[in-house]
Amino acid sequence: MWIEREALAAELPAAAALATRQLAETLASLGFPVDAVEHRPGTEVLDVDITANRGDAMSHRGLARDLAARLQQPLAPLAPPPVTEGEPRIPVSLPATACPLYATALLTLGEGRTPEAVQAFLLALGSTPKLLPAVDASNELLHRYGHPTHAFDADRIRGAVSVRMARSGETLVTLDGVTRKLTLEDLVIADEAGPIALAGVMGGDGTKVTEATRRVLLESAWFEPRVVRAAAHRHGLHTDASQRFGRGADPAMATVARDLLVQRLQDWAGATLEGAWTAGKPPAPPAPVDLPKDVLTRVAGEPLLLAEAAKALKALGCVVEAEPGHLRVEPPSWRHDLTLAEDLAEEVLRLRGYEHIPSVLPSLEGPPQPLSQDYLHRQALARRLAHLGFHQTVTYGFVSPEMDAAFPGPQGEAADDDRAGRTLANPLGLEYSILRRSLVPSLVEVARRNLQQGQREVRLFEIAPTFRGLSRGPAETWTVSLLWAGERWDADPESKAGPVRAKHLLGILKDVLKPTSQEVAIHPLEGGTFLAAEFPVQAFRVPDDRIIPTFTPHSRFPAVERDLSLVVPAALAWQAMHDTVRGALAGTALVALACADLYQGKHLPAGTKAWLLRLTFQAMDRTLVGAEVDAWVAGALAAAESLGAALRA
Amino acid sequence: MDHLLPPEIAEADHAFPEALAACGDLDALLRVKGAYIGREASHVARLMDLLKAAPKERKRDLGAAINALKNRWEEALKARQTELEAVKKAAAGGAWDPTLPPPLPARGALHPLNRLMGRLVEVFRPLGFHVEEGSEVETERYNFDGLNIPADHPARGSADTFYLATHPGHLLRTHTSPVQVHTLEKLSTHIQETGGIRFLAPGRVYRKDEIDPTHSPMFHQVEGMLVGHGIGMHHLKGTLEYALRALFGPATEIRLRPSYFPFVEPGCEVDVSCPLCGSKGCRVCKGSGWVEILGAGLIHPNVLEFAGIDSREWSGWAFGMGVERMAMMLSQTPDLRLFFENDQRFIEAMGGLD
Repeated sequence: MWIEREALAAELPAAAALATRQLAETLASLGFPVDAVEHRPGTEVLDVDITANRGDAMSHRGLARDLAARLQQPLAPLAPPPVTEGEPRIPVSLPATACPLYATALLTLGEGRTPEAVQAFLLALGSTPKLLPAVDASNELLHRYGHPTHAFDADRIRGAVSVRMARSGETLVTLDGVTRKLTLEDLVIADEAGPIALAGVMGGDGTKVTEATRRVLLESAWFEPRVVRAAAHRHGLHTDASQRFGRGADPAMATVARDLLVQRLQDWAGATLEGAWTAGKPPAPPAPVDLPKDVLTRVAGEPLLLAEAAKALKALGCVVEAEPGHLRVEPPSWRHDLTLAEDLAEEVLRLRGYEHIPSVLPSLEGPPQPLSQDYLHRQALARRLAHLGFHQTVTYGFVSPEMDAAFPGPQGEAADDDRAGRTLANPLGLEYSILRRSLVPSLVEVARRNLQQGQREVRLFEIAPTFRGLSRGPAETWTVSLLWAGERWDADPESKAGPVRAKHLLGILKDVLKPTSQEVAIHPLEGGTFLAAEFPVQAFRVPDDRIIPTFTPHSRFPAVERDLSLVVPAALAWQAMHDTVRGALAGTALVALACADLYQGKHLPAGTKAWLLRLTFQAMDRTLVGAEVDAWVAGALAAAESLGAALRA
Repeated sequence: MDHLLPPEIAEADHAFPEALAACGDLDALLRVKGAYIGREASHVARLMDLLKAAPKERKRDLGAAINALKNRWEEALKARQTELEAVKKAAAGGAWDPTLPPPLPARGALHPLNRLMGRLVEVFRPLGFHVEEGSEVETERYNFDGLNIPADHPARGSADTFYLATHPGHLLRTHTSPVQVHTLEKLSTHIQETGGIRFLAPGRVYRKDEIDPTHSPMFHQVEGMLVGHGIGMHHLKGTLEYALRALFGPATEIRLRPSYFPFVEPGCEVDVSCPLCGSKGCRVCKGSGWVEILGAGLIHPNVLEFAGIDSREWSGWAFGMGVERMAMMLSQTPDLRLFFENDQRFIEAMGGLD
């Protein structure tokens, strides 16, 4: 909201003496940060941020009130010459509870125009003067005092006026020329022919004031904030008026603003007042609020005198009665946000300045809780994967339908997953419309982009939830995905660069996954140039949380190593050989069985390959002798032969 | 004693350094070695003959002189041999070049946002804060109702919040604050035993913002909450002062300014003295010396009561911090989208691994 320095000083003379920076800092310390200061011809304007709870501060007068309380300086008096009310010239009825109060006046316009100074004021605030005094005066009053008013062309109003809820099928062309379809929840100002304004939001085009207007009917009312907010939202019409009524206008200002508007039309346009009257009465004031001393002391962090608090609250316009141990506070008519003791305590602290709040570390009242195992597990896993050469990514949780179809997810196609249950009702676009069941398609995109950017090798991982669309709603599973693409090279000129192969990713997975008898699935993508793997986080090894494991003794006797060079059928899997030989040598001193070399080539018979089995024997209690080792090796060979292996010549 | 030696030996000794220097390779050196200390027909061999023929009373002195000379020659020959061997090895190309890159272990990195969130947890850990987490799909009850957000608040609209198509009332959480409501509800049954709670809730949140240099439909927040007896604004200030000093350095100052969030009362914005310029005024703090870092306040009594906690007995504070915003400010990263592009160079440079 723009605030013009001179208009602010008109409400609070003491503000004139403040340097702009000082003014901005004072406003910020009161809760109204200044986003920008701009120079306009002959003056300066400040862009002030007003929080949603402070509709009362959305005017020069409103901010001046808070500044006056802080600076302990008087506000300029606000006393328009009172307008004598009489019998209604046009009947106004208020059948809807959302409008309890409606002050109005009927005037005949004379000659005259909007004063230069007012035009300059409106221009400084970024508002274009319409050069129609009734319109400009209403606009000027809104910025100066915060109470929205409206002037209708009285000659275009047909019959009596009522403020009522819209009826089914009614429409209204608003001032912006748009035809609005009204709903039963819209509060309207209507004449006998239908709606002439969307109450608190915008006037109607059919009754607007123009050059030709001779008589005006004023509107200065109070509307239920909730109703105005809903209408503004429904029609996408966020106007100066709807923002103020929507946050709660000051009911006491309704007649004052009407009187100010009458005065301006008389002064600027030579208008003649034909009558002024008010329908309804102000809404009931909010109940008084108690501020107990203990709440004030707790919130403030130090014992503040109730008398001091009373002084601050009075400065803000509250009526305060001191009672033993607490204050009984009636908030002023413009403050709808003061409903709790905490609200009042905040006001006291705000006026003192938050810089006076003491700084204290709260003491622990109970034992601190440990970090959860799940959290620690994920943190440790991320660090481990990063140490293994992978880069952690962060990608959006929603993907396009094509991406979603590309990969089934950490546990394959889930029978209970329904994509509709993972679909957003209002996505940013189709490409962000499905909550993803897998992280892999997102990693594929990231990898492609990295390769396009000239990276020769891409190693990525992400730890994030994946979703399943269940009938009761989406279920989330913390999921870990890895993707390895491009060329594998360790930067050593003597080692050869080559494409990454499945065994490389398998090596990483063996390091981080829990030992499993199941096959570890590696998914070749993009024609085999990308390798991906995905598992729920529970599949990964959990850091050992024992302080130190139980001692396991190791042998202090020498180990014996024996090699068997074998030719085996090409289709034979190492796991089969390993399990068979291990099984045959169960109960012996075999401590390790490794495939020390693999050879496949033209020197071997077709359909075979060569393995060098390395058997390591070691006993816990003695040095092994040659004969017993020889017997075990012979047993190993026999087991291997049972799988079709033969000693290599 | 050199006078004991014959003149031709003295002459050979004089020529010895030059002869050594003249050796271009090990073969030449072998020839010089043979000529001086070889078994036969060398200078030393001749001297040994001389020693045999010498009269008995001169043998002792002459022997000592010959030995000294021989040792000196041998040492010089050995030194020269070492030199020539090094030259030969270098010439053969077998020397290791330590300036060539060695085989490097693979190097990955944590994402900068995750690393920053991890750091925040570390900072609060000594104060007894643990981590609470929640799901990303939430209900209106936890995302709005339990946080004192009015039923007609614009943030609930489909223009601001992502809703699920087939499950009305289910949405993508717009802040980490629903974790407050869940945690307080869980806590309400045994708060007397725990004596309150203090936790952080880091996580991903969603808002319906178009992607541009300062907006993203998904971003990260870290929520902090403390509940105890008699908790006031001074505790919020004290805790944040400690934490932000631990994060930005001991000279850091903090500033609270009144503000408004529906789930706190009083509410405030918290600024820190600019960690980049030390409050002298720079581009990041726009010359003010302060940067806004988080929003906070005392937990609104309605939030405690909603979760079943008696707000007359218990009170607390909460804060919420935008992780990207803080990361961008500290790193002066010009574009939010860089954090979600995941260029490996960016992740390595900004996230890294300690």
